[in-house]
Amino acid sequence: MKLLYSIYKEYKVLTRDRAGLAITFIMPTVLILIITLIQDTTFRSVNEASVPLLIVDRDHDSLSSVLETSLIKSKFFVITKKQLSDEETKKEIATGNFFIGIIIPENTSKKLREKSSARISKLLGSFSGDTTAVAEPLDTSKLKVQLYFDPITKKSFKTTISNSIERIISQIEMQSMVSSLNEKMKESFPLATPSKLELTPIVSLTEEYASYNNSTIIPNSVQHNVPAWTLFAMFFICIPLAGNIIRERDDGSAFRLLTMPGSYMIVILGKMLTYVIVSLIQFALMLCVGVFILPLLGLPELNIGNNLPVLFLVAFAAGLAATGFGLLVGTIATSHDQASLFGAVFVIILAAIGGIWVPTFVMPEVMKKIAVISPLNWGLEAFYGIFLRNFGFKEIFPEVAKLLLFFGASLGGSYLYQKYKRLK
Amino acid sequence: MSILVDIQHVSKKYKDAPRAAVNDLTFSIDKGNVFGLLGPNGAGKTTFISMLCGLFPTSSGEIYINGKTHKTHSKECKQVIGVVPQEIALYPKLTAWENLMFLGHMYGLSGTSLKENVKENLRILGLEENMHQKIVSYSGGMKRRVNLIAGLLHNPQLLILDEPTVGVDVQSKQAIIEHLKKLNRENGMTILYTSHHLEEAEDFCSHIAIIDDGKLITQGATKQLIADNNCKSIEEVYLKITGVKFRDK
Repeated sequence: MKLLYSIYKEYKVLTRDRAGLAITFIMPTVLILIITLIQDTTFRSVNEASVPLLIVDRDHDSLSSVLETSLIKSKFFVITKKQLSDEETKKEIATGNFFIGIIIPENTSKKLREKSSARISKLLGSFSGDTTAVAEPLDTSKLKVQLYFDPITKKSFKTTISNSIERIISQIEMQSMVSSLNEKMKESFPLATPSKLELTPIVSLTEEYASYNNSTIIPNSVQHNVPAWTLFAMFFICIPLAGNIIRERDDGSAFRLLTMPGSYMIVILGKMLTYVIVSLIQFALMLCVGVFILPLLGLPELNIGNNLPVLFLVAFAAGLAATGFGLLVGTIATSHDQASLFGAVFVIILAAIGGIWVPTFVMPEVMKKIAVISPLNWGLEAFYGIFLRNFGFKEIFPEVAKLLLFFGASLGGSYLYQKYKRLK
Repeated sequence: MSILVDIQHVSKKYKDAPRAAVNDLTFSIDKGNVFGLLGPNGAGKTTFISMLCGLFPTSSGEIYINGKTHKTHSKECKQVIGVVPQEIALYPKLTAWENLMFLGHMYGLSGTSLKENVKENLRILGLEENMHQKIVSYSGGMKRRVNLIAGLLHNPQLLILDEPTVGVDVQSKQAIIEHLKKLNRENGMTILYTSHHLEEAEDFCSHIAIIDDGKLITQGATKQLIADNNCKSIEEVYLKITGVKFRDK
């Protein structure tokens, strides 16, 4: 009964604290919306998925149509076709409307066929002793397909895309050569009925993500930012919680509660449970933002995996760790200002090294090693595991255990500090 | 009269402090007494009250409440005590009703008896009409009255009052003192009272102890103390004993 009433009191105090509510619920929502929108393009360049590509087709022939079909098949690109000048194309890319622009000049297909035919004629002439064909110099000038890249594109991604397009064009060149060869052979052997040359690749690469349960979801801006900023907000709860503890200490409430039989521990427990519940509500709300709100802004929908109980177990562990930390800050800090400053700075540092702002997978090696000391990183890694790799309880247990140990250490630290001060 | 609080050679020295905050205090408070604990700033009153409430241990000596100590019977000792701190120890965003209901539950009270108790106390101290207003909207006097009720909810045997009337208007002060006198008279509630209002202390307290530099300087029945020191008032006794030197350091 005491505990329930303590939780009820905390609920009343919290719901009447508008600034506290704003920090608790509005801040993470705004952060998720803003940061996800800002980072979306950057993540897409890392993800190599759904890259917006502009084709300016002045050829209107086989090369452009085969190139387009191949690009669509690759599923890397969202293709838009427009008739623009070189300058206009460049502008479209520079303004970020497209990541890549391809200009296929007029008559490229025709010239490709002519060049292929000339090369085959020269080759066959050298076999048949046709001196005119052999002596005729080949046109070695190259046909040009112009590519434009968004300046923010990473070099490695640019190389990958260039290579892919080059490979497609090589295949088209090869096809053109083979059809020229076919035609020449038909001229030499008019009665023959040759079978069609098989042009499908002889060697193929088998690719697979080394993930559990055959999940091949690739992290995107939403899947990083929603759990990241939710964790940040959960840990930011340490500020109102610490403030609450200090206020009670300063206004004599703690003194009064300490004089009651066994009540102060119940009040502290009530506080912690209330804030853990708040952090779970925060988490559920932020998931809803990821699933329902972000897609309305043109961002990908948050894929929350298929293991909700495990997801909420991680959130619960993170909530406990955050409230434990809040209790420690509230116990050690001597004033509300000190708690706000210390709590905020510490959470921001933990967030920065934990991969909340900049994901650990793009961090330098040394920072990746440092990241593992941050509780926010433990939570984030657990969420990544559930969202991206379909992890179950067994796989995320180490991260949950670390969060619970952090909670225990914070409680222990608060108790020992309090005891030390009491005996001083 | 039987003894409710028995203080036996109690001392407290904080770590790194040059001298003891409380130095070998020995006195007792009988049941039904209104006991004034007076002394200049830094005399050791707050430290003594904190030890009496069981907030921290003594460095030496024992405090007995109803013959029991906090060391062995913390719960029983705390059940006897009601505390009214000098600060307004209430939640400003909650109403008076919500504050008192919460604190009542923390004392282990509940149900209709708690509700009736809260209502009755609010009525006696003239707060019934405002009980659903938030504390933040209350005047200083109203806050003090709610602060007092919070210490009375579980009908304690010993009520500890730390400057209960500081910063309040005459009407509120009158209401508080009259209510306390009634509780002492009718319920036999023992009161330990600290204040710098010496005139109020003289009027209110049956017994007074004066401490300075952590030591007990004098104690006795109020009137006896004035007579023994050939003074006209407690204020005269106080100044005679503690001197006129400033104590703020």
